[in-house]
Amino acid sequence: MPVDPMLQGLVAGFAVEAQEVIQKVTMDLLELEREGLEPAALTRLYVRLGRHLHTLKGSAASLGLQDLGDIAHKLEDALAPLKANPQKMPRPVVDVLLHGLDLFMLRAQAHADGRGDALPDPAAALAQLVADGPAPESVATRVPPPQAPAATAGHVPEPVEEATLASEAAALLAQESLPESADAGWRVSVRQVTALMREVERLREVRLRVEERGRELERVVGVLAKQGLLAETAEARTLLAGTGRLLRTDGEETSDIVDALEEGLKAITTRPVRTILDPLQRMVRDLSRQLGKEARLSVVGSELSLDRRLLEKLQGALVHLLRNAVDHGLEMPSERERAGKHHEGALTLRVEQQGNLLFLECSDDGAGIDLARVRKVAESRGVVTSDEVSRFNENQIRDLIFRPGFSTRTDVTDTSGRGVGLDAVRASVEAMQGRIEVNSTPGQGTRFVMTLPVDLGSSPVLVVRALEQLVGLPMLAVEATQLARADSLRIGKRKAHLEYQGQLLPVVDVGARLGLRALAPPAEGQPLLIVQSGGKRVALGVDAVVGDRDLVIRPLPSEVRDVPAWQGAATLSRGELLLICRPDWLVTESGQLTVAAQRRALVVDDSLTARALHRAMLEAGGFSVHLAASGARALERLATDTYDVVICDLDMEEMDGTQLIARLRAKPETATLPVILVSAHDSAPARERGLAAGADGYLSKRECAAGRLLAEVLDVMSRRGGRA
Amino acid sequence: MKILPRTMEEAQEQEAAELLERRASRLREQGETTVEEAVHWIAEFPLGEERYALSLEMLRAALPLKMVTPVPLSAPHVVGVLRFQGQVVSALSLASMLGGHGWRQDPAVLLVVDRGDGELCALDCEAIPRPTTLPMSAVETARTRAEGPVMEVFTQDRQLIHLIDLKRLFAMRATGGRNAR
Repeated sequence: MPVDPMLQGLVAGFAVEAQEVIQKVTMDLLELEREGLEPAALTRLYVRLGRHLHTLKGSAASLGLQDLGDIAHKLEDALAPLKANPQKMPRPVVDVLLHGLDLFMLRAQAHADGRGDALPDPAAALAQLVADGPAPESVATRVPPPQAPAATAGHVPEPVEEATLASEAAALLAQESLPESADAGWRVSVRQVTALMREVERLREVRLRVEERGRELERVVGVLAKQGLLAETAEARTLLAGTGRLLRTDGEETSDIVDALEEGLKAITTRPVRTILDPLQRMVRDLSRQLGKEARLSVVGSELSLDRRLLEKLQGALVHLLRNAVDHGLEMPSERERAGKHHEGALTLRVEQQGNLLFLECSDDGAGIDLARVRKVAESRGVVTSDEVSRFNENQIRDLIFRPGFSTRTDVTDTSGRGVGLDAVRASVEAMQGRIEVNSTPGQGTRFVMTLPVDLGSSPVLVVRALEQLVGLPMLAVEATQLARADSLRIGKRKAHLEYQGQLLPVVDVGARLGLRALAPPAEGQPLLIVQSGGKRVALGVDAVVGDRDLVIRPLPSEVRDVPAWQGAATLSRGELLLICRPDWLVTESGQLTVAAQRRALVVDDSLTARALHRAMLEAGGFSVHLAASGARALERLATDTYDVVICDLDMEEMDGTQLIARLRAKPETATLPVILVSAHDSAPARERGLAAGADGYLSKRECAAGRLLAEVLDVMSRRGGRA
Repeated sequence: MKILPRTMEEAQEQEAAELLERRASRLREQGETTVEEAVHWIAEFPLGEERYALSLEMLRAALPLKMVTPVPLSAPHVVGVLRFQGQVVSALSLASMLGGHGWRQDPAVLLVVDRGDGELCALDCEAIPRPTTLPMSAVETARTRAEGPVMEVFTQDRQLIHLIDLKRLFAMRATGGRNAR
């Protein structure tokens, strides 16, 4: 039968609307099923439920979808006795209504896809629906009507309540019947929106550059004022100062426009996480009933809005993790009670965003992962050999659950047992450039944590400095900033702690944590940031707080993506990149104390690549390597740290290698420190000049390229009596 | 209107960038137009004491080595990260990746290349590479002989060139190979 394209379009739109309405109805039904609701809340839920079902019926009828109208009508019938006498909804009624909604949605989708004519007669399904439901009388009489509150004399509560509810319903209906034109929109492709987002990001970078130009202008005015040409440059300075002011105003306006554009784009491209989390409530309920278990899902952070594409990709992973938790994690109610737990298992989904990182945690309070069983099953299924597994630690054994073909189920059920699942979850998370980790405590439960990069819009970042390295910290992770004071620090032999709000927080030096310098207690007046992540807090020692910026954090390329310290990079005003540190990495214990006995080398070179190459060679030779980009920086480093050897470039700006050696030899503490000069000059005079300056060794770049560096370092250290 | 003159450094930087861009586009054009000849276009450069080359078709740009942000705690072959056409790319030490120990001069150039998997990265280099050709038959023979990512190819004047297969080089690193030679 030919279908009117316009009508087909309306039906397709109706299916989308119906999906949203059914989701709301489902959430209300799950709420009505729970114990302990106040009568007023019950009444409100029933009214809303009735209104939604009525909307479904009316919309279906207006499009001539008689079968859908009939289903909605039957559902209204099932609801009617309870609506008249609000009470906790019996589970069989919830089942019937949910089943009816499924039926409705399936048929609505078929109509939307143009398959309406091929649908079977709904009469049988409707008859079954009615047969499944409890008799209306039994429902109505199962629970006595709630006691009316004590009425004051002459007050007739019931009609007043009905009138109130009717008016509330009317108000809600009025809200829904707003003209459609207000929400009417366009269809745009993902590519178009993404391109627009990139342009907004570029505009934000332009804004940062304008800010920088303003600062440059101020410097120019300052320079002109210092030249002793005050009279001659007065006009120019006035003009420049005026231009600077206008530039600042323009910059601020640009900033407002960028913020507005970004907010608008976020509204278009994101939707609340609850849109994928709410349907999971129904899934948990149905699955736990099917398995004879009891479970309640709590969601934290569902108000967060995320990229729609990311949400779609995440949905499958979350469904699997929750099914897994109900099926494998939670015990049967009786078993839980014997273990001293509540008969209803607790499942929690927590969603949190820090900068450009999204943390999704799925936890249960079930039996935990049985490592012995995991090991046995992995061996029996050929996932791993007994020889391999014998060398595994607990974490590695736990990670076997992510291997393809692994399942502890001995039978294949609808829920699990096919050995396809957690490996697929991990694959999908990794496809989104994320990672998944699992923690478990026997008898207490299991926690899966997914960490994913989100690439959308800007976020506030605090920029700090450690030596020459600028580091960004997501502002959400920074609780407070203060200066180190001796009376609030507790400095032990191996660690320092800060007394903060009645707690002792470990002090972490960001420079040492990043391997840029040796660990040292905080100096008086050093900035300390209180950084928190996942419930843990540390006091982070930095050299300076540069300031806060709104930055677009981009994901890192594959070569550095797995470095756990970094979560992304953002562009600063001059086009250089700022690395953004992961707060969860900062608050975890580091193993840096264990390398204290390593030989230490300081590489001084103004060439970034030369520093990287020397570092690679020395680290391969077992050295702990620190880097300095100039002679001045090297002297700063040597004032606080001790090294076994210094490898120094001969030709550097400001202070060359021979000048640095002269400074070192002049100080008693570095007078005998082995120093090797490295230079592009391969001539005998250059070599003689270097050695005469006090160097212990001299290598040309050619000799370095031939692999001589490490041998020379060991040789020089041996001659000086060091730990070669 | 008063115009502020460019500083010497700015002028030099801009001229260097323009020169590099002109050369890179010329190299790309040459590579595209001579496919029908039985030669393989390469970008050749010295590395230590030897001559190395990349397929010209993998070269996207040659940039001055600046604005690279070091990445503490990264692998030794990672020099840092930089911004290229709006995206964050890694700057890698080619000498280190190939198991070498250094350059004769400090690298001044970054070659932005396609890793062979669609992702871009930048490799350090002593100087802007020289475009030249290798006989296609010699390249094919070397390719079948080579097990690793570096193929030894002889030019017509019997000079040895180490031709780097970037796809193999990065695939090998991904599977845990440390030195490529």
